[in-house]
Amino acid sequence: MKFTKTFVMAATAALMATGVMAQDIAVIAGSVEDAFMDKIKKGVDDATHMVEANGGSVQYLRTQNYENFGPDLVTLINQAVAQGVDGIAIPVWVPDAQIPALQAAAAAGIKIMQYNSGLPVKADIGAINYFGSDEYAAGFGGGKYLAEKGAEHILCHIQVPGAINLEERCRGVTDGAAEAGAKVTVLNTPANLDGDVTGTAEALKAEFIGDSSIDAMVSCADFGAAAGANAVEQTGLDIMVSAFDFSPASLERISAGTQTMAIDQQPYLQGFLATSMLFAHLKFGTEISTDPVLTGPAIIDASNVDAVKAGAALGAR
Amino acid sequence: MSSNSTSSRSRLSLGRLLRLPETGSFIGFVVVYIFFAILGGAVFVGAPGWSSWLNIAAEVGIIALPVGLLMIAGEFDISVGSIVPASSMTVAMLSGHYDLPAAIGILGGLSVGVLIGFVNGLLVTRTTIPSLIVTIGVMFAVMGLTLGFAVLLKGSTSVSYVPHPTAKYLLGQFINYMFNVTILWWLGFAALFFYILHISPLGNWIFALGGDRESARNAGIPTSKVTIGLFMASGFCAAFVGVAQVMTYQQAQVAGGQAFIFNSIMCVVIGGVLLTGGAGSIIGILLGTMTFAVVNQGVFFASLDPNAGSIIVGALLLVAVLSNDSFRKLAISAAAKKS
Repeated sequence: MKFTKTFVMAATAALMATGVMAQDIAVIAGSVEDAFMDKIKKGVDDATHMVEANGGSVQYLRTQNYENFGPDLVTLINQAVAQGVDGIAIPVWVPDAQIPALQAAAAAGIKIMQYNSGLPVKADIGAINYFGSDEYAAGFGGGKYLAEKGAEHILCHIQVPGAINLEERCRGVTDGAAEAGAKVTVLNTPANLDGDVTGTAEALKAEFIGDSSIDAMVSCADFGAAAGANAVEQTGLDIMVSAFDFSPASLERISAGTQTMAIDQQPYLQGFLATSMLFAHLKFGTEISTDPVLTGPAIIDASNVDAVKAGAALGAR
Repeated sequence: MSSNSTSSRSRLSLGRLLRLPETGSFIGFVVVYIFFAILGGAVFVGAPGWSSWLNIAAEVGIIALPVGLLMIAGEFDISVGSIVPASSMTVAMLSGHYDLPAAIGILGGLSVGVLIGFVNGLLVTRTTIPSLIVTIGVMFAVMGLTLGFAVLLKGSTSVSYVPHPTAKYLLGQFINYMFNVTILWWLGFAALFFYILHISPLGNWIFALGGDRESARNAGIPTSKVTIGLFMASGFCAAFVGVAQVMTYQQAQVAGGQAFIFNSIMCVVIGGVLLTGGAGSIIGILLGTMTFAVVNQGVFFASLDPNAGSIIVGALLLVAVLSNDSFRKLAISAAAKKS
């Protein structure tokens, strides 16, 4: 076993030295049960055509679930290394587990491309570039959008109190809104309301009634927009409803005018760009001078919802 | 049992009142309501406040009723947490994705709940595995199946559905813009379960089951049938909430619903149902649900930190269990003195 691994590594190194090889890359992604990952896969699949047309190959590796996530990711990284790939495209979700494994891969001469998650640890793994969103930047864009639409007091809803990425979103919303002169109040709903649309709707209703200066809300969860739209319907107040991420139902609400916008991070682009740009780097030596490359925030509102729906029907949005 | 002086009569009626199992829950509700009425002010005491906590109470209450009955019979049902999304997904799939009539979607959603309840009941009665474990297992299985089917058939973990006006009117409308129609369904279910537990002979069987299963069987009570029936009832009620949610919010999600597990148990226990079975009442469960909902919503109206709500609910649970024990002891000692 150890011998084969060493042999494969030596063979890979030898091939690299000669420079005559087919560039094989592995794209590692999250659980097969996660619909978000299907949009990433669509991007990877489309990029694979380009890779194969140029004599390379793409392996798409996914974990079964999120239960043993760190170790599962490390297993996939080691599997890719053992198969002698030239590059790995991967999000960093569990830095403590993934960084040592990726550093070992890099030491073996494998190029790393990062996407979707883990921007703060990009330097630690020596990634070529990063394709994904930045929570703060996404929030900033959303807050600015609402303020420019005329919001003066925005409620930023966090469904899991203490989650750092969600707090980053609301911090971004606060700064983005402040730039356009609006103020933001953060509402943490208790964790036992996470996913509970009725409970969240009633909580939002209480906030809306309690502070009549609130004229917009943005939820860190898609279901928060359903709850917000319901609270607005109940109270009859004129409040803009918006959320991070989106679902078919939120697209319907945007069409119907009961939701103002949704903040998307475009997973299709993350999969497509990470795969194609990693390959192009290996094969053609290309570099992107923009670093990191942010695929979000992409605001979905009434002006582009039909285009997004068409993209969603094709599995890319 | 003397009736020769007014003072002794009033003491007696006070004693009788204290011995009612619901008294503790009632006092709890009044104290909590007054507390939040003072902090929350006119808005909380007015229609917005009432609609707010009643909307919450109705949803969790519909599930808490059969969960309470099961607890009285000495069983737990954790699987309700996964039946809610499973049923709402089924409705949205059948009527939204496949464009079938709303009635078929609703029927499908409810059947899913009844079927899961039946499986729970069978596993609990045919094996020696405790219901807590059985229903946790079933919950995970149902969660996986819901997710699997949603991704397989729809390629998404969320399905939208614009309900038929009649279905929306019956299950998802807001009366006076604020009061969810599920409040009326909740009261209807409460009346039905009140009849079952306190009036029909089935009620005594349920109490007997929770008291001592062996003696209940020896006394000729069809224990398995009653147990399976109770699990089917809780499956049905959880599915009903799932259906109502689709009609209200026009979407179904794979996730969500887990909150109902602990929330329903909490309502039942705050309502004075004995965790080990054998004691409890529908009025108590209703009061427990209302108390729970008032605390949950009150914190938002009172502008308290929402985490304070969790602390109060937790404390309330402990106080409820402690005071229920005291009231029970009081009742037993009073009964002993009388004889």
